[in-house]
Amino acid sequence: MFAEALFFGFAVLSVLGAIGLLVFRHPMNGAMSLVVTMISLAGLYALLSAKLIFALQLIVYAGAIMSLVLFIIMFLNIQESDLPAEKGRWLYQLGGIIVIIPIASFLIKIVKSIPGSKATIVGSGFGGVKEVGLVLFQDWLLPFEIVSILLLVALLGAVVLAGKRRMSK
Amino acid sequence: MSPLDIFMLVARVAFAAFIPLCFIAVCVWMERRGAGYFQDRSGPNRANIFGFRAAGLVQNLADAAKLFFKEDVISDHIKHKFYFVLAPVIVFFTALVSFAVVPFADTLVLGGKSYIMQGIPLDLGILWFLSFVGFSVYGIILAGWSSTNKFGVLGALRSAAQVISYEIPMGLAIVSLLVVYGTVNLNEIAQFQGKLLFGFIPMWGAVLQPLGMVIFIIAAFAETNRTPFDLAEGESELVAGFHVEYSAMKFAIFFMGEYVAMFASSAMIVTLFFGGYQVPFLSTATLISQAKPLAFLLMIILPVVMHFFAGWIRRSNVSHYPRENDPRVFEATVYIKCFWGLVIILEVLLLAILFSASGGPTAHIFVVLLQVCTFLFKITMMIFVYIWVRWTLPRFRYDQLQKLGWQMLLPLALLNIFITSAFVVALS
Repeated sequence: MFAEALFFGFAVLSVLGAIGLLVFRHPMNGAMSLVVTMISLAGLYALLSAKLIFALQLIVYAGAIMSLVLFIIMFLNIQESDLPAEKGRWLYQLGGIIVIIPIASFLIKIVKSIPGSKATIVGSGFGGVKEVGLVLFQDWLLPFEIVSILLLVALLGAVVLAGKRRMSK
Repeated sequence: MSPLDIFMLVARVAFAAFIPLCFIAVCVWMERRGAGYFQDRSGPNRANIFGFRAAGLVQNLADAAKLFFKEDVISDHIKHKFYFVLAPVIVFFTALVSFAVVPFADTLVLGGKSYIMQGIPLDLGILWFLSFVGFSVYGIILAGWSSTNKFGVLGALRSAAQVISYEIPMGLAIVSLLVVYGTVNLNEIAQFQGKLLFGFIPMWGAVLQPLGMVIFIIAAFAETNRTPFDLAEGESELVAGFHVEYSAMKFAIFFMGEYVAMFASSAMIVTLFFGGYQVPFLSTATLISQAKPLAFLLMIILPVVMHFFAGWIRRSNVSHYPRENDPRVFEATVYIKCFWGLVIILEVLLLAILFSASGGPTAHIFVVLLQVCTFLFKITMMIFVYIWVRWTLPRFRYDQLQKLGWQMLLPLALLNIFITSAFVVALS
């Protein structure tokens, strides 16, 4: 009962945040709505007893990445006058809604066909740091290492690209 | 849930919520007295209630009254009023919640049930702290940005860049700690530190990870925006940085948030590196079995300490020039009587422990209270280090600050991880 109420609260908040990101004109409002979505997603992970993913979502997405986004928005110091006029904005939004309707009805049909089950919070011994770590470094060691090398390559690429532009100047 | 369960729940949540708030007053008072001491002056000694100055604590009440009744201004040029009001709330709330996972005593066992002594019974520990430290940046960014003021924006830019860059050495210092402790649960970390190294040194993080401790403490100073890292509000360049447009209680909430953050990070430093709630050389099991001798020892020590403390009050609390019927002598007499009354109450309570069954619930509760006192004492010492540094060191230049973070602390933290891992692998 309590878990279900929390689920609905977080679900509504995350959808509202996503809508806010699309609808708000000012980038700061958009970024703050995305923060709301990220935090409510963390809440949903916590309801799934994924404790480590909950903490990582808060630290990495809601904390580090979004604060960097906010930092850049503040750095650019965008005023209302800098924003483009966006003529016929409502027309585009109407078109978007019409396109989404068939997909949404299809998704609702799928969700309704899933057999109902009771949501319960799994106790300790699931989704914690130790459990996830054991699975990650025993069963999935090779994929994990490959993904980390991929991330390292992307990181080095960003540094090289940023350095190159300064060289040419 | 039995009434005892509900009582323990309320007690631990109340402790985690109200102790940081009470420590705001202690921190502000310590800061002022410390500043006075380091600068060779008296510190706050004028504000009083009927002549009682409580060594300067009354000044806090005067400040609170001033800030409470001041006009709360939101200038017309501020467009995003919602963010302007939200910012101090975020700073204060994240600082308060980050303390919630710090254990303030070992798990209390009463009637076969164990109660975890932390605000939120979550085993994420350090990860929770890290995530909420990251959130406090939002408050600073929103405050500076919504102020629509160049000093505010500059202060917020500096502060955000500083907090983001010092989070990296802080996280890496924690990684090397986790290699040693093998857990992120703060209660387990504190229990680990109750053991003895070579049989006579407490196995504190400060002994096992001296380099990690230095890195973590420097990063914690930067995260709380305290001198020598308080570029964000450098008065000489930026007026007051990100809170330049704030007045009255909104400013007070920023101010209080800074002290709560200082308390929370002191609590985290104590838990990670100075044994947390552990009494040095005495583990929880020893404390419970030896409760009666300890209570007896405390009963002897308390009056002796109080005697010297009373002498110190009598010597210190006098006017600096000869006065007839010096009112400060009367003030000192009242203080000494109050403290003696407190000591007598404590003696009676300790006597009750002496006459209770050994190893029973009374002993367990006595040990918890003893550990809470140890924990708060260690935190107070750590807060003193914060104040000591603030009034001793000058402020960094901004490029020096970033250079220290990226070129000194980051390589050192990485080196520390490699050395620690090599040691752990070699020893296991």
